[in-house]
Amino acid sequence: MKSMFTVIKEQISSFYLIRRLSLFELKSANNNNYLGMLWELINPAIQLAIYWFVFGFGIRGGDPVDGVPFVFWLLSGMVVWFFVNQSIIEASKSIYTRINFISKMSFPMSVIPTYVIVSKLYSHLMLVALVTIILQFTDYTISPYFVQLPYFIFCTLMLLISLSLITSTLSTIVRDVHMVVTSIVRMLLYLTPLLWEPSGWIKQVIMINPLYYIVEGYRASLLGTSWYLVENTQLTLYFWGVVIVMLLIGSALHVKFRNHFVDYM
Amino acid sequence: MSETVIVKNVYKKYKMHSKPSEKLLDVILPGGYGEDFYALQDISFTAKKGDVIGLVGVNGSGKSTLSNIIAGVVPPTSGTVETIGQTSLIAIASGLNNQLSGRDNIELKCLMLGFTKKEIKEMEPEIIEFADIGKFIDQPVKKYSSGMKSRLGFAISVTVNPDILVVDEALSVGDQAFAQKSKNKMFEFKEKGKTIFFVSHSMGQIKEFCDSALWLEYGEIKDYGPVKEVIPEYEKFLKKYKAMTKEEQRKFREEVMRKQSGPAATLGK
Repeated sequence: MKSMFTVIKEQISSFYLIRRLSLFELKSANNNNYLGMLWELINPAIQLAIYWFVFGFGIRGGDPVDGVPFVFWLLSGMVVWFFVNQSIIEASKSIYTRINFISKMSFPMSVIPTYVIVSKLYSHLMLVALVTIILQFTDYTISPYFVQLPYFIFCTLMLLISLSLITSTLSTIVRDVHMVVTSIVRMLLYLTPLLWEPSGWIKQVIMINPLYYIVEGYRASLLGTSWYLVENTQLTLYFWGVVIVMLLIGSALHVKFRNHFVDYM
Repeated sequence: MSETVIVKNVYKKYKMHSKPSEKLLDVILPGGYGEDFYALQDISFTAKKGDVIGLVGVNGSGKSTLSNIIAGVVPPTSGTVETIGQTSLIAIASGLNNQLSGRDNIELKCLMLGFTKKEIKEMEPEIIEFADIGKFIDQPVKKYSSGMKSRLGFAISVTVNPDILVVDEALSVGDQAFAQKSKNKMFEFKEKGKTIFFVSHSMGQIKEFCDSALWLEYGEIKDYGPVKEVIPEYEKFLKKYKAMTKEEQRKFREEVMRKQSGPAATLGK
């Protein structure tokens, strides 16, 4: 409990630090390519095209999902997946790849995974804006439901930060954890309603995955289908329960080991 | 004068692992796993404001470990280190981000050290001037020569105006002109009454620069006192060590290893 408050306090007081560091992170990640930041859009576009082709036409034969054409259903869910996917992987290795630059124990270490995640948030917001614009040319124009979107972005951020506290700590101690994280993330793509629509008992199982809530929430806001947050109170409570439990475990682990991160190098 | 660095009974223990699986066992088992290696044993000393202390000792005697602990980069296994004021470590490996420009690196490094936006803005021109790398300041660091890199690193570390400075064999960076410039900066710090720890293998530099010396041998303090007393003794030891036959040197190293495998091992003998 106490370590959770320590971590939360650190995050809030280092707000400026997180912002600056995340911008540097973004800069150094895209410095080598001629197209720079544009890759943050090109990459998802290529992936979306192939998923649309394989799952939309190949497997579904062009059938809509609940009356929504597959391509929009795919787009509105995948837009958050790119953010989640990159953030989980990058944040998991964030501490052990950067500890040598930190060189000061008094640095608020819990900020490291956060700023890595925030650096991914910029391109995510860009992508969301782009998807919103594209949707304006379809039947799914902006609706009052859109106001839920900031809430779901916040949810995603919270989930990622609390998860990354666990993964970044464990993978600093035992590098293999990062490998485990990478393969779990790869599986998550199929265990979240992103490419195919689960039904029946399979759906019940997949709802355990907290990403279910986020992806469906994004969809409801972007496509304007429902007040997802209010209509699914149980799922909302479950989601925040998961986040708080992960935050508790993550900050306890992080605070316990952070003074010795250097020793695990 | 007031004490700025108080080191009390500091131990630094490392575990030696020959396989990654042993490392894993060490994490899982409550008692740990692996052979102990004490890089530092029972180090206690105090330094006052204005002290310039040379750290001397042969390779592997724990000089760098001790300087990292004083600078707050590495935590001690047991014991306490109390430092009053901001500490700064100047090492050859300056930890710059290769992808970013020199200017960005200045801001990044200062942010990491906990400075505010305003303070960084004030320090930036001073750092750029001291580093003296001209137009390269807006180039990514990966294009720098090694001399430029260490100059920039050095410039950042000294401009943050620390109260306690740990210099780890870094005065030898750059050409003569820069070496002179950094030496002058050090003398300036010395006059301002900062506490400086100075790690070097060059006895000339130590004699020129330090007031007292701390001689480390296999992770223990062999001697601590004024330069005039410690350094001649250390030089005598060096001469003796060099004159040893191979067999004797090997014996000496074995003795060192035995001592560094822990207090228990030494007591058992």
